Amino acid sequence: MIGWFDANLVSILNGFAIGSLLFILAVGLSIVFGMMDVLNLAHGAFFLVGSYLSVTFLAGASWGGFLTALGVAALVGLLAGGVLSGMTEPLARRPILDQALLTLGISLIVAEVLSIVYGNDVRSVRPPPGLRGSTDVAGDAYPTYRLLLIGIGLALALVVWLVVERTSVGALVRASVADREMVSAMGIDNRKVKVAVLGLGSMLATVAGVLAAPVYGARPGLDETILLLALVVIVIGGLGSIRGALIGALVIGQVESLGRALLPDLASFILFGTLALVLVVRPRGLFAGKVAHS
Amino acid sequence: MPKHRAHPLLGHRLLRGAGAGVLVTALAACGGGSLGGDDGGGGGGGGEEGGTVRVGLVIPQAGVYTPLGEDMQQGWELFLEQNGGELGGYTVETVTADEGEGPDTGVPAVQRLLTEGNVDAMVGIVNSATALGVAEQVTEAQVPLIVANAGAEAVTQDAASDYVWRSSFTNKQVAAAMGEHLAAEGIGPVYVMAPDYAAGQEVVDGFTEAYTAGGGTVAGQALTPFGTTQDFQPFLSAIQPSGAAATFVFYAGGEAVSFVQQYDAFGLKGSVPLYGSGFLTEGSVLDAQGPSAVGVRTTLHYSTEIDNEANAEFVQAYQDAYGELPTTYALQAYDAANVLDRALEEAGGTSGEAIVEGLDAVEEVEDSPRGPWTFTNQTPEQPIYLREVVDEGGTLVNAVVEDLGVYAQP
Amino acid sequence: MTVDSPPARGTPGATAAAGGTPRRRGSRPLAAVLGLVLLAVLAAVPLFVDPFGTNTLSRILVFALFAMSLDLLVGITGLPSLGHAAWFGIGAYTAGLVAEHWTAEGVVTVLLAAVAGAVGAAATGWLAVRSSGVFFLMLTLAIGELVHQLAQSADTVTGGSNGLFGIPSIRVAGTPLTLAGYVYWFVLAVVLLGALGLWLVSASPFGAALRGIRDNEARMRSLGYTPFRYKYAAFVLAGGFAGLAGGLFAGLVRIVNPSDAGFSTSALLLLAVILGGAGTLWGPALGAAVVVLVRDTYGPTLEGHGPLLLGVVFVLAVYLLPQGVAGLAGVRAGIGRRRPAREGSS
Repeated sequence: MIGWFDANLVSILNGFAIGSLLFILAVGLSIVFGMMDVLNLAHGAFFLVGSYLSVTFLAGASWGGFLTALGVAALVGLLAGGVLSGMTEPLARRPILDQALLTLGISLIVAEVLSIVYGNDVRSVRPPPGLRGSTDVAGDAYPTYRLLLIGIGLALALVVWLVVERTSVGALVRASVADREMVSAMGIDNRKVKVAVLGLGSMLATVAGVLAAPVYGARPGLDETILLLALVVIVIGGLGSIRGALIGALVIGQVESLGRALLPDLASFILFGTLALVLVVRPRGLFAGKVAHS
Repeated sequence: MPKHRAHPLLGHRLLRGAGAGVLVTALAACGGGSLGGDDGGGGGGGGEEGGTVRVGLVIPQAGVYTPLGEDMQQGWELFLEQNGGELGGYTVETVTADEGEGPDTGVPAVQRLLTEGNVDAMVGIVNSATALGVAEQVTEAQVPLIVANAGAEAVTQDAASDYVWRSSFTNKQVAAAMGEHLAAEGIGPVYVMAPDYAAGQEVVDGFTEAYTAGGGTVAGQALTPFGTTQDFQPFLSAIQPSGAAATFVFYAGGEAVSFVQQYDAFGLKGSVPLYGSGFLTEGSVLDAQGPSAVGVRTTLHYSTEIDNEANAEFVQAYQDAYGELPTTYALQAYDAANVLDRALEEAGGTSGEAIVEGLDAVEEVEDSPRGPWTFTNQTPEQPIYLREVVDEGGTLVNAVVEDLGVYAQP
Repeated sequence: MTVDSPPARGTPGATAAAGGTPRRRGSRPLAAVLGLVLLAVLAAVPLFVDPFGTNTLSRILVFALFAMSLDLLVGITGLPSLGHAAWFGIGAYTAGLVAEHWTAEGVVTVLLAAVAGAVGAAATGWLAVRSSGVFFLMLTLAIGELVHQLAQSADTVTGGSNGLFGIPSIRVAGTPLTLAGYVYWFVLAVVLLGALGLWLVSASPFGAALRGIRDNEARMRSLGYTPFRYKYAAFVLAGGFAGLAGGLFAGLVRIVNPSDAGFSTSALLLLAVILGGAGTLWGPALGAAVVVLVRDTYGPTLEGHGPLLLGVVFVLAVYLLPQGVAGLAGVRAGIGRRRPAREGSS
């Protein structure tokens, strides 16, 4: 047992790093869908915007560049969320599949504009100075930046959870999820809540793009891969809850890391196999959120 | 090579073409119906009298293979420019079509060139599935196709046709050269990795057959999920415990970048040297890989650093024209133009049959930048080079370590 | 068994649906005349249109049938599937393998393809239809991706990512159909029969029950229905018709590759259904036509701008055609246009 653990220590650690990354890139999608009923299939494209912004601001060259990229990405994400909120407003009383059509259309357009601006070559981004090397983990080299990602993911989970569960803004959001008419009867504009939530969710997507750039790089087609991963994560965890997104991300992180290391022959099947298995056993994900139940 | 979605530019043509007129133009293109025996489409339709030849250039203009398509277009145009826009004495009209990422878009694109494009010959095709998917149609239409990339063995074996030729390489050909070389070096057990799809499997087979035939042993093998692997750690962690003395891989595009960088980041580069099929470090991926790629050794049928006169001229002319170094993909299209030029010169016309006879008559292509090569079973028998990535004053290039000799399709 | 209960939320579309047919009575003669004219025009196509245009139309017809089969699930039963290409792909591989190894007789290959599609759907549907809404979407996505991966990995059978190539031409009564026009007629005949079959299903009491389940499952249950059995039957039927379309596709394009069973195909098709107007059958057929034209026919001539055009079409359609293409004809596509999400997942 100890021998097994020893042999797979790096894979397990890496599972946490990838899980953290998955949480960062999926939590925004989960918040927006769980709380506002908006299925934002442009989430992956927003993520890619963040990745390309870190190419623009040379995030790999200096901390200044890295932080600038983060800041700009956050702003762009907020704006994009606001625009998206406006665009989905006329669709509020229409089936959710219409949102899928709209947001996937937006996604195609955004991806296309990115390829006009950045070309079609694969771009890579180095981690900021000081995080480029490897750290010794039980005798194996492990990239330092990935260790940092674990910390960022956990911190982010805490912050988002605190905001939603412990602040008055969060209370408002939860209230408008539970009973929209009630909240607007209290004189609060539902649309403002929606703009705020979509802004936050989209901001998390673009910020995730910057944070993930040193691992995933930036290239055409990455948006679709990310979108699928994010969907799998939030569905496995259970829609609409932050805890669900975190659990889903950690599970998929281990599946993609330790699972692939242990079952290399089934590597191609393991991700969607896990998704199918979870949904067959728990048709609403591992931890169906409170809001998704109501 | 990875798959997935697409991109490019908002052109005015797009908006003009987008209206309802779209359907009408598609369907009303020309009268006559589709029940005639010998359609007026491709094949014999060319205009010999005007001294022109219409060539369909089928390249990816959208999707992840777009950079390859751009290189191929540049290679094709460079040859035409150097030859006054003529091939074999005919003025060339190039009709470009977007191959996209796979047969779903590639096959209709070729079909359209065959029927509406009225082409006498076709050049291009990056994706092997597309090449295999159109083989029968070009044969029926009697329009010669010179495949300028797709490396599947079947293109010139199981699916061979008089009308399908190739100016590039085969997956096994490139890998087998490395297998023989490493076996001769006696490097020790090798760990083999590739994406889990047809080309990856062929490269693994080609390498393993040659390496074990030369007395080498394979320490282990991993086929990684194709197109969805961003993180290679789970597979990389198996290399050291396997006792491998070296790793041989085949990756391209985004996967090549991730792999080479992670191989370095997880500390393997220093302890287990990395070898690969040349696409691992070819074209724009090399820039993205950065310092992690330095020292990686690969085999391929081309490098900008090959020391011969034709290559020096080619590299110079290409740089003058496009401001960047040529790639293997550019070369393959350049050579496709070269052999089509020779074939048309031999041929008594631009009918498919005549061009095929002309291609048959092509002997050694002695002035190719890759070194002299010949058609054997309609695919190149050519020198393969051992290359090593070196940093030359800030630019990464594939320096030629050794000419491994001439290889045919295994 | 008929369902003559009032519709759940009183939308006009649902009223028509519960009446047994999605069409309005008054427009029937006109629709019949239009239908006959359309049929005549479609039948005459090979006489006037060149081979490429004919092939394009064949392709559109195949995808139209495919989209209609998905509409049976999405629009009529209220189950949005993101893995429907799996059954299309299984049908296509079956037809291709049968044609390569046994007989290329068109009727045999497409029928076996339909059976294969239905069997595949039957094997997984009992698990899938237990969920609903976004979870159904994701479960079908998972199933679709597993089938896609299987096609990729089982390369000794399917040819892997090189695709199953060299599929012989469709034969009818032993004669190979080598000309685009004859292939088109074969495709047209099968697609029309398939569409007729789907329409009959949709217009039958069974179809009405499906709409009832879509609109208010609890109510149907209290009326004594077992929604599971209806949904499962719809899933299998939809899989069978998708397999039929796949069988035609293999005979038409003569190459099948894993992506035909994969996410992109499924997603595009689902978008085509929404674009066309879910629940009307013919709307999704038109939606499929738009998608095929944009992606496969015009995309390749736009120097790589195909995806952009597709994106613009999708976004515009959301605002300009709130009820899909079908909305243009004044038919209420309200059916299938409920507010799912919350209801769907609870």
